[in-house]
Amino acid sequence: MNKVFGVALGILAAVGGFVDIGDLVFNVSAGAMFGYELLWVIPVGVVGIIVFSEMCGRVAAVSKKAVFDAVRERVGFKAALGTLIASEVVNLMTFAAELGGVAIALQLLSGLPYRWLIVLAAVALTGVIWAAKFEWIERVFGYGGLCLLVFAVAVVKLSPDWGEAAAGFIPHVPQSDGTVYAYFVVGLLGAAMTPYEVYFYSSGAVEEEWTPKDLGLNRANATVGYGLGGFFSVALMLTGATLFLGRGIEPEHLGTIALGAQVPLGEIGLVLALVGILFAVGGASIDTVFSGAYNLAQFCGWEWGRYRTNARAPRFTLTWLVLLALGTLIVLTGVDAVVLTEYAVIFSVVALPLTYVPILLVANDEAYMGRYRNGRLANVLGFVYLIVILIVALSAIPLMILTNLGQG
Amino acid sequence: MTEIDIALKVLDHQILDCDGRRCGNVDDIEIEGGPDEQPRVSAILVGPGWWPQRAGWIGRVARWVAGNERVRVPWEEVADVESGVILRKSAAELGLGRGDDRVRPWIEKIPGAHR
Repeated sequence: MNKVFGVALGILAAVGGFVDIGDLVFNVSAGAMFGYELLWVIPVGVVGIIVFSEMCGRVAAVSKKAVFDAVRERVGFKAALGTLIASEVVNLMTFAAELGGVAIALQLLSGLPYRWLIVLAAVALTGVIWAAKFEWIERVFGYGGLCLLVFAVAVVKLSPDWGEAAAGFIPHVPQSDGTVYAYFVVGLLGAAMTPYEVYFYSSGAVEEEWTPKDLGLNRANATVGYGLGGFFSVALMLTGATLFLGRGIEPEHLGTIALGAQVPLGEIGLVLALVGILFAVGGASIDTVFSGAYNLAQFCGWEWGRYRTNARAPRFTLTWLVLLALGTLIVLTGVDAVVLTEYAVIFSVVALPLTYVPILLVANDEAYMGRYRNGRLANVLGFVYLIVILIVALSAIPLMILTNLGQG
Repeated sequence: MTEIDIALKVLDHQILDCDGRRCGNVDDIEIEGGPDEQPRVSAILVGPGWWPQRAGWIGRVARWVAGNERVRVPWEEVADVESGVILRKSAAELGLGRGDDRVRPWIEKIPGAHR
């Protein structure tokens, strides 16, 4: 019974940790621009991240390889080095965006100056990562992120047209604004399938010494965690649709997103939304700096690990400290966090095939995986998503330029 | 003697010392033997100093960032090849993991480094 309880708590934390700044920005904006028309993209993205994570977790459990171990062994040194550089750049951008989000949420809660709060947020995150046990970090930020459930309550109060919303889950082509619509499809998929999530997940699996016995847990974690996480995305998009569509409001600021809970629920709604955003993007900041350190350490063969003491993995520790400092400097330049988020999501889409393809190959390789290689379902889904990911990766930058970041 | 696929199971794999410490990846492999001889693996090569010969200009740029450390570990020191390459001795004895050893004292100066 205790074990079931533990798993449930873990999943709850994962659900709370699902949402990051990319999900917040793209889901609410998509609702504000296109109403219910893009709802169908959410399940497509959620199934994509489930497929990707399930493969990564299985590879980790069977072959003891985290993502960048597998990438380097599989595609060779040179291609892996290119992949590493691309991933680290995207990862740093994502971290900077999340950190900017933390500072904005703090500013809206406290009214203190933004720049001071950037520094405060960076120092606080460093202190938390340095001193706190990882189990606690994960739980606290995960549970805090559950405050975002306030958006689900807000949606019910705003009473959207449920019939029309249901119709939004059927994929369709829009009547107008085709390129902007396509840009949002790409952005929503990118926000759902953020690569740092799988680096983080697979490294954790290696560190917790998963074996093939844990494959059931892996499947449950991936499907239930991300599946329920998708529920938040739906709530955010519906909020954007019911509140902002047709009013010419585009959520260019995180504060506008929090308004989505304030309008129907008042002050308490606003505070819960901001606290939820704070913990969600705070947790994501920690995941992203760690992911950057994992990738480099695995590529170079250094000691690494979130459950290790700082001194037992010195260069890993140094790497996340440096990444945290670099990200802080990026945010301190005054770059807009929401614009940075859009760039981070679009570039992460471009880099997605670089890690997806090797993992798909390894998960399918009998020499690595033996009888745990991809079954028929994993393979069909794996190859369908390969095509989806390639199309999305190739079209991301042209769409970003054509639509001027979705401005039309 | 067991058969090992060097390209698939050794090259680019994690190296673990006799205490299970992660101490580098196999960055290249040294092979001995002339045209008429049976080629044999004589050593594994570890460190960013070997990167340029694996990856051309991008490897040179990476070496410039990571430093020119080169370590040669004779093949006799390899105890086993599992999911990683396992060594008979400790990293310190073989000159591996020096980067971590250099950084550790700095990290240890900060309170709470061993928590």
